[in-house]
Amino acid sequence: MDTLVNVAHGFGVALAPINLLYCFLGVFIGTLVGVLPGIGPISAMSLLLPVTLSGTPESGIIMMAGIYYGSMYGGSTTSILVNIPGEAASVVTCIDGHQMAKQGRAGPALGIAAFGSFIAGTFALVALMLVAPRLASVAIVFGPAEYFSLMALGLVVLTFLTQGSMVKALLMACIGVVLGLIGLDSITAQPRLTFGRMELMDGIGLVPVVMGLFGVAEVLLNTEQVIRRDIINAKITRLLPNKEDWKASAGPVGRGTVLGFFLGILPGGGAVVASFASYALEKRLSGTPERFGHGAIEGVAGPESANNAAAGGAFIPLMTLGIPPNVVMALLLGAFVVHGLQPGPLMIAQNPGLFWGIVASMYIGNLMLLVLNLPMIGMWVQLLKLPYNILFPLIILFTIIGVYCSGNNVFDVYVMIAFGVIGYFMRKLGYEPAPLVLAFVLGPMLENNLRKSLILSQGDLGIFVTRPISAVCLALALVLLIGPLLPSLRRKRELVALDEGA
Amino acid sequence: MFQRSCLAIALVALAMLVSVRADAQQYPTKPITLIVPWPAGGSTDLTMRAIAESASKVLGQPIAIDNKAGGSGTVGPATMAATAKPDGYTIAQLPMGVFRLPLMQEVPWDPSKDFTYIIHLSGYTFGVTTSADGPFKSWQDVVDYAKANPGKVTYATPGVGTSPHVGMEQIAMLAGIKLTAVPFKGGAETNAAVLGQHTMLQADATGWRPLVDAGKLRLLMVWTASRSPNFPDVPTLKELGYPVVYDSPFGIAGPKGMDPKIVAKLHDAFKKALDDPAVIATLSKYDMVPNYKNSEDYKKFVVEVTESERNVIDALGLGKKN
Amino acid sequence: MSADSNVKVRLNNSELWGGLIGLGLGIFVVQSGLKLKLGTIHEPGPGFVLFYAGILICAFAATIVVAALTEGGPTFGSRWKDARWAKPVIVIACLTAFAFALDPLGFLLAAIPLTLLLMRQIDPVRWSLAVPISILVPTGIWWLLKHALGIQLPSGSFGIG
Repeated sequence: MDTLVNVAHGFGVALAPINLLYCFLGVFIGTLVGVLPGIGPISAMSLLLPVTLSGTPESGIIMMAGIYYGSMYGGSTTSILVNIPGEAASVVTCIDGHQMAKQGRAGPALGIAAFGSFIAGTFALVALMLVAPRLASVAIVFGPAEYFSLMALGLVVLTFLTQGSMVKALLMACIGVVLGLIGLDSITAQPRLTFGRMELMDGIGLVPVVMGLFGVAEVLLNTEQVIRRDIINAKITRLLPNKEDWKASAGPVGRGTVLGFFLGILPGGGAVVASFASYALEKRLSGTPERFGHGAIEGVAGPESANNAAAGGAFIPLMTLGIPPNVVMALLLGAFVVHGLQPGPLMIAQNPGLFWGIVASMYIGNLMLLVLNLPMIGMWVQLLKLPYNILFPLIILFTIIGVYCSGNNVFDVYVMIAFGVIGYFMRKLGYEPAPLVLAFVLGPMLENNLRKSLILSQGDLGIFVTRPISAVCLALALVLLIGPLLPSLRRKRELVALDEGA
Repeated sequence: MFQRSCLAIALVALAMLVSVRADAQQYPTKPITLIVPWPAGGSTDLTMRAIAESASKVLGQPIAIDNKAGGSGTVGPATMAATAKPDGYTIAQLPMGVFRLPLMQEVPWDPSKDFTYIIHLSGYTFGVTTSADGPFKSWQDVVDYAKANPGKVTYATPGVGTSPHVGMEQIAMLAGIKLTAVPFKGGAETNAAVLGQHTMLQADATGWRPLVDAGKLRLLMVWTASRSPNFPDVPTLKELGYPVVYDSPFGIAGPKGMDPKIVAKLHDAFKKALDDPAVIATLSKYDMVPNYKNSEDYKKFVVEVTESERNVIDALGLGKKN
Repeated sequence: MSADSNVKVRLNNSELWGGLIGLGLGIFVVQSGLKLKLGTIHEPGPGFVLFYAGILICAFAATIVVAALTEGGPTFGSRWKDARWAKPVIVIACLTAFAFALDPLGFLLAAIPLTLLLMRQIDPVRWSLAVPISILVPTGIWWLLKHALGIQLPSGSFGIG
């Protein structure tokens, strides 16, 4: 009963005209950056963080949150119609979504992506409201050893899912960890691998690396193709998926939602990993895995639901513990503290209007997104109809500006261009950048927690196997590492592994 | 020809001089970044935000907080000293670790040369907490347990060489026990560590207050001279028989070579902020007492404090090994 | 004769070179780790993780090199077969030139020619469209950032922008 009162109170806050406006602005900008390749929620949120300073905390955070989940919707549009991920969590949607579009089924693909996202988003919000406090007590069991093992598992899962040679993927992951460690040591403040360059003291920025490896390298790869991937130009008709589509998608949406929600809660998880994991799960469960990669609607429904559920789940550790589970949540934490609010065990009790207002606004935002992405899909398609020879130079321009704005630093632009070139050659030689980027993000946390664990256990490596959660994570990682050496599992991995660069 | 180019150079130089002066006169014309070398949501972060908010009203430009945690609160200032232009648009909170860490190991900055000291603001109140579900009810329990199990008692600190770390080591020495320090990046992280019982204790500034109030953490002692009005039942170090008081002062500095006019403007704005009732309220919420020193006194204070810290560090055997 | 051509094929093996680059990188990381001090297992130092990550890099790279030597692999030529390799090279050259020009010339003076060059080089856009777009888009974004968001893109030594 309490919950209902709170929800009503929350809607009171969220339906205030100014908050509705901020909510709409947030989801609109989110969809826009989601649709545009090369610029994602991270750069948009860091750009707009100062803007939120002027309003009330509620409006600011409602807008920032809107950008995040809005981009999850928008990203799928670009993936399906252009075969370029609008943002990182929509990478897997390209595989089957674009194939569906090529077969003239762009409408149902877009439709199921939007409906799946809506269902998952709604579920995540209900869960956020009902079980947040209980799940918070689960998350607190995670100490340094668990963090380390969980992140190690995350990296191994990703290398296992990456297409091509697993050795190459592991090599990329290790290089990613090392790149992540550049800069001042987080414990002793000694400069590492900085080559005397002052700009490197602070480490390499995530935004330039991601935009280089995914944005610039993608454009480079595309320019060399004579036959351009064309956007699906035919008029998109019949957005509503038919009965068979729904039948095929119900399972993936449900599983994707639950899987995404839990992966969203775990640190280092988040929307990107959730979408990959859901795709792999659906392919493995499917009776006809060979259809995947050739326009299977399950391959769109699962990951798109998963990434939205993850976006919702990620709010739990932030709002109840003040621990941001991923980069986007770290930015959102910034939005809270800009207003002097301390997300933590007491926040919900002390600022009920804020917490319930934000949750209620997310319901409203999800509804707005459904409208923005279905009846108004034509508007976004127009944006994508720009011919490639105009779009590519503009993407490069946007990435340059986005990178510069994220750090106000010309050096970051150099870094992005360098990683763009490196990324191009890596792809040409069959090295996938995804494990590198995830390892780059997790590397510093991985190192920090490894060192803390060893200090805690006084040098006893047993800490990683005597603690149950840690032991399970490491055991799973080991199975995935040794597995591919066995012939039967190797065949299975080839079936599951992603076909498209990611 | 030669003359003409000379003239041109002179003109350009003059123009540059004028423009530099104009810059200092008009400062600030764009948002200022204040680096807080701790994670968002900790006690330093929240108080610095309140101070910055108040100072920004005086300066007429927003002050953006940049949380750059790590290396005992030195990664932020060190990065600033190495990379930021001394134009007054990038400044940093300077915790004690910036002066102490160079005494303990090789570091890429020199506190006597690399900073322009702007204003000294306040100091922390430290305390030692443990999980409310844990076995320790009082500090004596900790000492008894540590005597029976040397090195087994772990405590979370905001980093190597921070005041909570050095303070705990000093207390351990006085109590004749051996504790194991686990370095985290700041209050937000040490809270989670002790809450989840990953470390047995937490030694940190008052960021734990909401958790202590909520009954999730138990405060075992405070390091102030007299009992905190917020926690009248918690003993001080002196009452527990350790004749020490630990408060770690902090202020604000910029990169070396800042224009004195800009320093003066920043100093005045932050001094005004210290008188703002909203700031005073936030500071007292975290048991911080305003401790104002102007730019000159701050500079002198740094020299003094470095000397006194050197003695403590050497006594504890934590000094730099050559 | 046959031995000769065999060696040639091997040196042209793209897998081999990828592995060798990885190996070099790994050795460098191991060295850096050692220089930064490993610390002890009770209290790992700043080079601890670097050292072991470097060893892993070496191990994986060595596996790739061995596989390339024993099993062979695709040649560089085959990787770029059917590709308009000149296009990425031109784009890379444009971006490098842009990187060098950005600081001295400022954003506007560097970005307008870059956009124009890319429009004309990737797949020629007709001049009547390319020129206005490459002037209007960078200028528009610059204006928006400066006046709406208060972000100053680099203005270069001429102070334009």
